[in-house]
Amino acid sequence: MGMLDAYAPIIDRIEALARARGLSFEPVYFRLTDSDELAEVASMGLPNRFIHWYWGGAYKELTTQQNKEVFSILELVLNTRPSHAFLRASNTYLQNVLVIAHVFGHVDFFANNHWYRKSNKNMLNEAELHARLIRHYEARFGKERIEKLLDALLTVATTVNAFERSPEARRRRLIYFLEEKAPLEDFERHLLQAVREEAEYFDLIQRTHIINEGWATFVEADLLREILDPREWITISVQLSSRPAPYTIGYSLFKAIKDGRGFDAALEVRTYYEDVMLIQEALSEDMIRRLDIFVYDPKEKKKSYDVQRVRDMLIEQKQFKGQPHVEVELGGNHRDLTLVHKDEERKLEPKRISLFLKAVHSLWRNPVRLRANGKVYTYDRRGFSAT
Amino acid sequence: MSLRIHRGRIAQHKHDQLLREYLKQNLNELIQQKELIIDGRVKTQITTLDLPTLRYGEEATVLAQGQGGAGQGPGRGAGRDGGDEEVQALGGLLGGDHHGRELRVELDFDEFVRLAQEVLIDEIQLPPLHTVGRAGEVETDEMPELDDLDRIGLRPDLNLEETMLHSLLRSVRERGVLDYDVDVRQDGWYFVEDPVQYRNHRSLEVYVLDISGSMRGEYLALVRKTIFVLWYYLERRYPTNLRRYIVFQDAAAEKTRDDFFCVESSGGTHISSGFEKAVELLEGATEYDKFLFLFSDGETSSGDFDVAKRRYEDALSRFDLICYGHVNPGSRGIGGFSEYVQETARKYPNATFANLVDVGTIGAAMVDFLTFLTQERSDGHAGRLRTDH
Repeated sequence: MGMLDAYAPIIDRIEALARARGLSFEPVYFRLTDSDELAEVASMGLPNRFIHWYWGGAYKELTTQQNKEVFSILELVLNTRPSHAFLRASNTYLQNVLVIAHVFGHVDFFANNHWYRKSNKNMLNEAELHARLIRHYEARFGKERIEKLLDALLTVATTVNAFERSPEARRRRLIYFLEEKAPLEDFERHLLQAVREEAEYFDLIQRTHIINEGWATFVEADLLREILDPREWITISVQLSSRPAPYTIGYSLFKAIKDGRGFDAALEVRTYYEDVMLIQEALSEDMIRRLDIFVYDPKEKKKSYDVQRVRDMLIEQKQFKGQPHVEVELGGNHRDLTLVHKDEERKLEPKRISLFLKAVHSLWRNPVRLRANGKVYTYDRRGFSAT
Repeated sequence: MSLRIHRGRIAQHKHDQLLREYLKQNLNELIQQKELIIDGRVKTQITTLDLPTLRYGEEATVLAQGQGGAGQGPGRGAGRDGGDEEVQALGGLLGGDHHGRELRVELDFDEFVRLAQEVLIDEIQLPPLHTVGRAGEVETDEMPELDDLDRIGLRPDLNLEETMLHSLLRSVRERGVLDYDVDVRQDGWYFVEDPVQYRNHRSLEVYVLDISGSMRGEYLALVRKTIFVLWYYLERRYPTNLRRYIVFQDAAAEKTRDDFFCVESSGGTHISSGFEKAVELLEGATEYDKFLFLFSDGETSSGDFDVAKRRYEDALSRFDLICYGHVNPGSRGIGGFSEYVQETARKYPNATFANLVDVGTIGAAMVDFLTFLTQERSDGHAGRLRTDH
């Protein structure tokens, strides 16, 4: 705790500055921690989430990268009430001052962005409850059975959509369809709901990742201008515009808005925008070139910097987490489940299809089909087949 | 201060267990890679384990970012070693709890060997290692003084300090972290009785590999598997072993361990050169037990046959044990120099011959080898045909 005291005055100062700018937020609890814990929370998403091998792979990658000093996480903030922010103890004082200002950008975004109105600010407690529920079921039904179930649930959980409110549209997304129609036992349904709720919490963060980082970077720059002496600030502002793409795209937009229409206009954009709107409006040809983002065709070994193509692809990635757009075909018979890949031109990796369908089948229990790659793939009692 | 549960590490442990299973199933493929060790590590085609979500095929277009990204401009990243500019798919742009970048799984070579040993020992159903150690047990009423250190011993008593130290070293080596993560199977050191002669615990192992002609996948796999199984026993018997490596074709050359596992095959065969080089390495060696393991298909050049015989006999008088492995995948018979060794080995107690046809025959080869170690222990010293030099 002692070390955090050293930051107390600067935290107070930055907080006061942020409020003076018109920012508002829940109370923020800062915590000083090490790289290892940061990697842990980053890989699991929440500090007390249930333990699964999948986070273990991510954790391993992060710690390897940190050890090689390829990349390290400087900061982490949770969208909870109150907000929790992690500072890395091994950061320099100046780095942590940057981080603190950045954090106030994030918590302001969490509190004011329209899409976060319905977000679950109690996730820290709920994740804890989910973890307990899982341990309880493991004791009752066996670890292996629960792990298999969780594997399948996490596989289909990528189809959540935190923005979607229309029941009809939701039903086309696999996980909601299964929640409603699959012949699951009670404990299986409980776990599906637990996994779905957590996935929605992260989905919201992913769908606003670019704007959120952009806003936090913008706030960081703005507040630091007041705190740092001009020479320090110039060095920092150069660093800020050479951050990875998600930071830079949003940052450029907010800077442009502020320069044209003032800070209050920027506040408005942070209230109503999410990533798709931001990409449509802010991602310019110049920026695409500068960030060196392109659509790559491995067959032709060709890059395309066409603005519209890059935008479309980025938006599609946002909507489907970089995964193929697969929908449930509604209105078939009630026994079979048919999924359709909506972008026929892009081929799916065949090896994964059987594993994916097997996972879906373990939840649906009846025949599961996927129309993709010009074929119909089936998984039923007899196993996998393609026609 | 509160105790922290290292959830990340627990999750990683689970992940690694699954990964080990996966690697075990694919061991055969891995072990045949021509270049087994690159930069001290074994590279695989396996990425971190993933959930079976759907993915686009390799030929589908992707959103990507050049290495020059992050504001450096496109020019920067290109032109490294004249190679293609690296294109990295942009999954990571999305953030959140999904990792976009795939890393190929790499294993520390030692870790790979342990994994291979686990699979092989199980597959071959070899005797567990303590049968070796037990044979040399000395009967006495007195409690022995546990003042020596070993990885394994009779009436072992865990040496906490040494074990912790090894755990630390291992985690630095494997994970690059200064941290204790004790796994007694890997890190355990024990207080054991002071052996009659400490030097009895030191060995020199010379590995000689014929790399002429047809060094195909199966040939390599057999040799490597045999070596790994040998290590399994030798490591437990000799805490301080020195390993040296030789490859030969027309001529022999000493190699580093890493090069030994990455050899290119070519040229003719002079088995004599292998033996000659091996004897050369004994110069100045103070180790008590000296082993020679030579692997060949026996097809030495006709002019080399007689020279090879002489060198072999010379080596027999210098090494405590020579194991000659006739590498014979597909069982095409035993001819050439191998046939000669097979005959001769019967006459010399410190010579063994193994016909390595498949994994099963590695087991048979080990039995010969273990017999030697067992007898040696009950004699109280090694090398029944020791000739002083």
